[in-house]
Amino acid sequence: MAYEKPLPQPNADTRPFWDGCKEHQLRFQKCRDCGHVRWPPSIICPRCYSSEMEWMVASGEGKVYTFVVYHYAYHKAFENDLPYITAIVELEEGPHILTNIVGCSSDEVRCDMPVKVAWEDVTEEFSLPKFKPAQND
Amino acid sequence: MGLKDKYAIVGVGYTPQGRVPGRTALSFYVEACANAIKDAGLGRQDIDGLICYRHFQPASGEREVTPYVVAQQLGLAPKYLSQEANCARSQLHHALGVLEAGLCNYVVVAYADNALSSDRIPDETNPENSVFGQFGYPASYAMAARRAMHTFHTGPETWKMIAVGQRQWASLNPLAMMRDRPLTFENYYSSKWVVEPFRVSDCCLVSDGGRAYIVTSVERARDLSHQPAVIIGIGQHNPSSYIDQSTYMAGPTGAKIAGEMALKMAGINLEDIDACEIYDCFTYTVEVTLQDYGFFGLGEGQDWFKYGTITPGGRLPVNTSGGLLSEAYFMGLTPLTEAAMQLMGRCGDRQLGAKTNTKEPEIILCSDNGATLQTHSCTILRRF
Repeated sequence: MAYEKPLPQPNADTRPFWDGCKEHQLRFQKCRDCGHVRWPPSIICPRCYSSEMEWMVASGEGKVYTFVVYHYAYHKAFENDLPYITAIVELEEGPHILTNIVGCSSDEVRCDMPVKVAWEDVTEEFSLPKFKPAQND
Repeated sequence: MGLKDKYAIVGVGYTPQGRVPGRTALSFYVEACANAIKDAGLGRQDIDGLICYRHFQPASGEREVTPYVVAQQLGLAPKYLSQEANCARSQLHHALGVLEAGLCNYVVVAYADNALSSDRIPDETNPENSVFGQFGYPASYAMAARRAMHTFHTGPETWKMIAVGQRQWASLNPLAMMRDRPLTFENYYSSKWVVEPFRVSDCCLVSDGGRAYIVTSVERARDLSHQPAVIIGIGQHNPSSYIDQSTYMAGPTGAKIAGEMALKMAGINLEDIDACEIYDCFTYTVEVTLQDYGFFGLGEGQDWFKYGTITPGGRLPVNTSGGLLSEAYFMGLTPLTEAAMQLMGRCGDRQLGAKTNTKEPEIILCSDNGATLQTHSCTILRRF
C-alpha cells in the first residue's frame, strides 16, 4: 500500500540529515571551534559564529522534553494511528528533535523519560527517526 | 526612553464579527479601518500611516491582503505603510516610531480575517513536523503547556479557571461569539480534546471580522472625539527560537523582559495595574504570561486564580471582553482595543468600575505574543 502521510522535503540545509536517516544515522552539525551541536542546520554556529563545522552522528539516546497526544487526526493518513504521540526529544548531544514516541501507550509517556531512536523505513527513500522507551530493549 | 504619556489610542474600529459568511478578508480590513477613523473623529485625509498584522494565505478566489490594497480601498496614500510578514508583534512599536520621527501624525493599525467561513486551513505547515503528524499552533502550545505541567505542576485545574472566568466576561459583551454559551468547570472537562493536554475550551476562537485602532500624539488627541487611552509603557522581547529547540516553554517567555521594560518606562509597579488584557491564544498562554510578568510565583497560578480573581467582581479582571477565547480572534488587537475602550469608559455592561463591581480602571496592562511564545509585546495604557 502506498505511503500516504507527508514525506520529508529535504532542502540544501537539511538534505545531509535526511540522507543520514536513510542509513539509520542521526547526523547533526557540530561546531569545530566551540563544540556546540546544532539543529536545525545553519551555515554558522549560533553561539560563536564560526563557520567551521563537521557532521557528527548522535547516539540516538535522549529523554522526552515534552509531548502531546492526538485524539483527532488533522490529516487523514494519521487516522489509524489515533491516539498517537508527538514529542520533542532532548538528545544526549543537546539538540531537540520533533518526533513520535512509539512502543508505549499515551498513559505511559512522561517528560524526562529516557528514550532511544527506533527507525521506521517509510519509503525506499526515507526513514524517520521515531523514539521508544529506553527500557523496552 | 521618553515615550511615556506622549502617544495615545484615540479610536477603535469594529466590524460584524463571529460567523459572517460571504465576505472577503479584505472587506473586513477596510470596514475596521474606516470605522476606527470615523470613531476617532478623523477623515481619510488625516491618516498618514497604515500598519497591518501578518495575514495568512488567502482563501481561494481572494487576493493576498496587503496594506497597499487596504490603503487603496480606503482612499489613503500613507507616508508609512507596513505589514508584519510573520508573527512578530511590533505594530505599535512601528507606529510610535514613525510618530516620534515626525513622519506621520495619525497611524491606523489593523487586522482582519474571514477564517471561520472561508475555505482555507489557517495554519502554515512545517514539512519537518508534518511527517510526524504534528500540525498547527494548538499542538505547539500544547507542547509548551505539557512541559509546564512537568516543571511547575500546572494543568487543567488552573486553566479551567481562566476559561470559565473569561466566559463570564463574554456573557456581558454583546459582540462576544460565546456570549450565550455559559461555561462551567464541568463543561470545561467535558469539552473535547483538541490536542491533549488542550481541550476545546483551552483554545482561542476562529473568527470572521476585523479590528483596528488609531494612534496619535496626546496633543493631537485633545481635539478628537474620545478621552484618549494614553500609552505609558511599552516593552518587547523575542526569544526567537524554534519552539522545538525552546527551553523557555515553561517560562520565562519574552513576557518577563518585555513586562519589566514596560513597567520601568511607565514608572509603576504591578500593584498599580487595575486590569489586564492578555493575548490568550490558549489558556496556558494567559497563565505563563501573568506568571512571567510577576503577578504570582512559579506554579502559584492555581491558588492565584481561585475565587474569581479575574472574573467580574474580581480583584484583577483579565480579558474583560471575553478575549480571544470567548470574544473573537483578532490577534493582539482583541486585548489592546479592549483596554483602550475600557479606559475610555465605553464598555457598556462589562465596563470596569461600579457596574461590574471592580476597581475603576486607571491603568491597564496588555500583552501580545506571536508564533509559539517566540515574540512578545507588552503595552501599558492609562486613563487620560
